[in-house]
Amino acid sequence: MADAIADITITDDDFLKFREFFYRKTGIHFEASKRYFVDKRLIERIEITGYNNFRNYFTFMRFQPSGEEIQALTNAMTVNETYFFREEYQFKCLVQSMLGEVLKYKKRGETIRIWSIPSSSGEEPYSIALYLSEYWPEIANWDVELVSSDIDTQILNKAREGKYSQRSVQNLPPTLLKKYFKKTASGDFQICDDLRGAVEFTRVNLSDPADTRGYRKFDVIFCRNLLIYFDDLSRKQAAEVIYEALNPGGFICLGHSESMSRITSLFKVRKFRDAIVYQKPEAQ
Amino acid sequence: MALIKTGQPRTADAADQASLPRDLDALIGQLGQTDTGIRRQAARQLADFQGSVPALTRQLLRETEPSVREAIFVALTLIGNSAAVESLVTCLRSNDAAIRNEAIEAMKSLPNSVAPIMAGLLSDPDPDVRIFTVNVLESLRHPDVEQWLIDVISRDRHVNVCAAAVDLLGEVGTESAIGPLEALRKRFADVPYIGFASFLALKRIREA
Repeated sequence: MADAIADITITDDDFLKFREFFYRKTGIHFEASKRYFVDKRLIERIEITGYNNFRNYFTFMRFQPSGEEIQALTNAMTVNETYFFREEYQFKCLVQSMLGEVLKYKKRGETIRIWSIPSSSGEEPYSIALYLSEYWPEIANWDVELVSSDIDTQILNKAREGKYSQRSVQNLPPTLLKKYFKKTASGDFQICDDLRGAVEFTRVNLSDPADTRGYRKFDVIFCRNLLIYFDDLSRKQAAEVIYEALNPGGFICLGHSESMSRITSLFKVRKFRDAIVYQKPEAQ
Repeated sequence: MALIKTGQPRTADAADQASLPRDLDALIGQLGQTDTGIRRQAARQLADFQGSVPALTRQLLRETEPSVREAIFVALTLIGNSAAVESLVTCLRSNDAAIRNEAIEAMKSLPNSVAPIMAGLLSDPDPDVRIFTVNVLESLRHPDVEQWLIDVISRDRHVNVCAAAVDLLGEVGTESAIGPLEALRKRFADVPYIGFASFLALKRIREA
């Protein structure tokens, strides 16, 4: 068995074939420089599923009725980690472009509503809160409500606690780290009470209409690196949820490797200086 | 002004929620309303009713709002019974390319429901329908995909249908497809594209 495993190789053609397929399915594109990363994980999945070559495994994975293997492969191919100011260009786009457009349809006294899903352990919603507080002067004139949701109740508790490792906060400018965090006895960094209190964390399963029916009237939604884990039908359902949840003219930000255009044609593509995002068309 | 918490993140209007009907007839009635939001919501809720397929299909064929169309397609896919699949087949015959493409995408998500009618679709008198059916096979997660494709290249007389099938066999074909691919090359010896595509498919299968 060990010899058979050692013989598994991924040829150039195999890599190209897999890369094209995986891109179509997930929107994730692997550069040639990621070849070692991809080969290693492909060979792991080939071994685990009991196949002895790429072709047989690929056929099995592609046509397995349950779709379990492509999900397992997707999980293996994605690095499920997050940290403060991840894909920071979208936060810049939020404060420098998107919110300016949102204000055009907002009346004085109305609240701007932002939804961050999945919350994971809170790095994204707190990054948004930090960005608004530091880099959006209009925060002095407008109320902003920040809601963040996840399907995992344990991770929501972690988010509410707001404690992070050095690695999670390493991208933060030292001034912001000092201003908004306190160091705990264990060496972690805990975000300040003001920001912890500024985010409403809720449990939501994006695929459950009963969970999402009440989420409406948001102006900006961050839904990054989540849809890559969904199958095509679930992605379409999620896109519908996002469409219903947004105000006309509101924006949806996906992860850098994701494309709403491959899921649905309901949203307009908007190219701003810092990022490409999607917008729900204004009411006709 | 500041970052605030209202404690009420779920802010759908209570009236909106209360006004949503729960029975089939009322929801079907809402499919005909002028408000696109109401039509969209009705379509989404009708996914819970197996008997809603005829009404969804009627609305789909006259609906002009893309967001409602998409909601109807998702509803039909979620229902996924034989009536829903028949509805999608009707859409395959539409003159509207957007409707056809949505139907192909929806059918790809229903391997078990589509499988029983696949042989019939691949024998449809309309070659366009046969090509669209091959397009459905492109991502259909079903163990018979290769055999269906082999059947197509073995007996279909339309070169474009065979060409679509050969392209896909290059990706998913195994040794079982070698003989039929060689026979296809001979059958369409005067069509350079078939010669090229079958050569490529055979090369990929033999090198695997």
